[in-house]
Amino acid sequence: MRRVAYLVVGAAVLAGTATYAHHSYAATYDVSTEIKLDGKLVAFSYRNPHSFVTVQAPDKDGAMQRWSIEWAGSGQLAQAGVQHDTLKVGDEIVVVGRPSRVRGEYRALMVRLTRPSDGFNWGGRAGQVVD
Amino acid sequence: MFNGAQTRFAIRPLLLLACAAVASVPLFSQGGPARAGNAPDISGEWRLENSEDDTTAQPPLGDYTGIPFNDAGRLRSDTTPESIWGTPEYQCRPHSAPHQWRGLGGARILKEQDPLTRDIRAYHIQFMRSLDRPVFMDGRPHPPAWAPHSWTGFSTGEWIGNTLKITTTHLKDGYLKRGGPQTSDMYSMTEFLTRHGDILSIVTVIDDPIYMDEPYVHSTTYAYDPTASVAHEVCNSSAFAENGGTDRHWVPHFLPGENNARSEWLKDENWFPPEAALGGVRTLYPEYRTTLNGTVRPDTLKVPASRSALTIDKRIAEQSPRDGQVHVLPVQGNIYMLVTDGTNVTVSLGPEGVMVVNTGPAQMSDKLLTAINQLANASVLPPTTNNCAGVSCPGAWGWSSPYMNAVISSPAPPKPVRYIVNTSASPDNVGGNLKIATSGFFPRVQGFGAAVESVGRGASIVAHENVLNRMTAAPAAKQPAVPAAAQPTDTYFDEFFKLPAYVNGEAVIVYSAAAANTDGDSFVFFRHSEVIAAGDLYSTVSYPVIDVAKGGTIQGVIDGLNKIIDLAVPEYRAQGGTWVIPGRGRLSDTADVASYRNMVTMMRDRIRDLKSKGMTLQQVKAARPTLDFDGRYGSTTGPWTTDMFVEAVYRTLQEKK
Repeated sequence: MRRVAYLVVGAAVLAGTATYAHHSYAATYDVSTEIKLDGKLVAFSYRNPHSFVTVQAPDKDGAMQRWSIEWAGSGQLAQAGVQHDTLKVGDEIVVVGRPSRVRGEYRALMVRLTRPSDGFNWGGRAGQVVD
Repeated sequence: MFNGAQTRFAIRPLLLLACAAVASVPLFSQGGPARAGNAPDISGEWRLENSEDDTTAQPPLGDYTGIPFNDAGRLRSDTTPESIWGTPEYQCRPHSAPHQWRGLGGARILKEQDPLTRDIRAYHIQFMRSLDRPVFMDGRPHPPAWAPHSWTGFSTGEWIGNTLKITTTHLKDGYLKRGGPQTSDMYSMTEFLTRHGDILSIVTVIDDPIYMDEPYVHSTTYAYDPTASVAHEVCNSSAFAENGGTDRHWVPHFLPGENNARSEWLKDENWFPPEAALGGVRTLYPEYRTTLNGTVRPDTLKVPASRSALTIDKRIAEQSPRDGQVHVLPVQGNIYMLVTDGTNVTVSLGPEGVMVVNTGPAQMSDKLLTAINQLANASVLPPTTNNCAGVSCPGAWGWSSPYMNAVISSPAPPKPVRYIVNTSASPDNVGGNLKIATSGFFPRVQGFGAAVESVGRGASIVAHENVLNRMTAAPAAKQPAVPAAAQPTDTYFDEFFKLPAYVNGEAVIVYSAAAANTDGDSFVFFRHSEVIAAGDLYSTVSYPVIDVAKGGTIQGVIDGLNKIIDLAVPEYRAQGGTWVIPGRGRLSDTADVASYRNMVTMMRDRIRDLKSKGMTLQQVKAARPTLDFDGRYGSTTGPWTTDMFVEAVYRTLQEKK
């Protein structure tokens, strides 16, 4: 399985797409778990090597927190049609992500993003994976 | 057929032995700068060959197989999460040096030649996620131990037969592989680059005795590919922490025993000996197999381990040498760092004179003053030839011309010491006050700053008012009172003290670090030079000294370090920029202070966790919560031991908010 992952990474680099994270996703996030956040977008940092969506949403105890959702770099997002103005501050969004391994962190790796107001969604289709 | 982990487990010891053998062959050294004609050409574009097991170095989390970790290395790696990348200070750090060759994206090697002799003066190696890495071939020495460390370190090279041997020192702390195994900031790295036709093999030896019982060796292969072009990653870091929440000083870490990743991957590969997954020198050699069939107990196993070439305690001490000398390191802008018998003195030189942060131990005052005067003399422009004569030249001419004055008379004398800042009342920080202050001049008559009449025209001494309180308190038995001329003349009690006007062309701000090492600590920010004199808040040679009897607390130290981090800005890719002069130790940058802050925060949280479980101080000490940093900052003897540090943390812990 690990070898397969390496092959995917190698192919991506050869194709000229800088998708190989400088840090390890599997080491950063609990990739066996998903959390769902329903909240308001307060910032969208569209940049390299990773973009970040900041969402104000409740934690499991109901307390509002600033969640930092790691997304793909701007290059990969642009190829998938996501531009710097695709998301706007104040958007109500639903995020499904992999939580941080570290207790006390409000951080997750983007798996799916949905904006109910217009049906925009990302995740699950070909190329819509943060790798 | 072996699977990936089986292959790694079975082959790695053999590979390591082979590499170690190659590395230890005493080949004939040509010495001196390499000439273009007798060394293979290694310049060009190189493509990483993913033909070796584990080349991309992304083992399962918690898999330390093949790494000669000691207990400290294992604990450091188990407790340092990958989320550390999300802190603002680390978001754009390049890959650590041991991982650079394996970090994908290819490599480019450039030659820098002397235009006259065509000797190769340096190679420059570039990777996707790195700064330019020069490898100097001109025989220059490595910098002194008090010089800064960088992500790629300081490298020199020499040809040994057909192999380029690169020796690298002055490296920041980092990791051996992505996702887990950590290094200290005291390791050295030796690489052997050998070209075989279009193949370049790189054998890397990482010597980190703080975390490993023997050097760690790996090899990587590249293929010459003139059509390739090394990728270049743009990194846009952010001032906000990527780890969420609202605490920009958040330090992600696991408490000892909290990280369960070690067992995750073994669930899928349950044939694997758990002990081998922990690494350790005994598990690296073929002899380890005898422990699997039960004929030898692992703890009695003898293996032919090699030793570290580094005497680590000596190397750490060399950052802060107690040698009775003053060593001068130019820093940036107006600022110099004077390593004064182990204590760092910061000196600002400029047209208005000299400003000194701390004055070193008393017994060093004569040598320190001599060094300051030599620097000040050197800063006065020497006579130069006049390249512009006559009235057509802009500016002054004739008898008022600076050129004529320089030729017909000696240069103007250097300006004296105008200001001293004491960052604390520690004897190492105020010991030279009397000598340095009385040598200086501060225009009190008809000017500001006439706080203490008896100091006459001596330099102004600035400090937190608790420093003055301590220096004017009744002396202990047999101790002489501090002379008035050595006492602070200008004190403050607030968050900061702005020098009332520019000093040497820049703003200088003295910040309070409340209840840190004591109740009177400060650090000093030179706003144009971009240098911070940290005082005792920051040291690269010991745990922070927390004098509980004088109001010091662990939280005050952390808050003070965070203040420094808030003010400091890296130049590029988490390196350089604002320089931070520690009270003791090597010159540092933002990332170094962040690394130290991370360590101190981890120690606070670990000791608080143990205390919250009802442990007594003795039980906490016995639990060795500082194990992974004791080899770097700890001591069992001297004025500040690890036990004293643990006790100070334990006694000054606040309840968790």
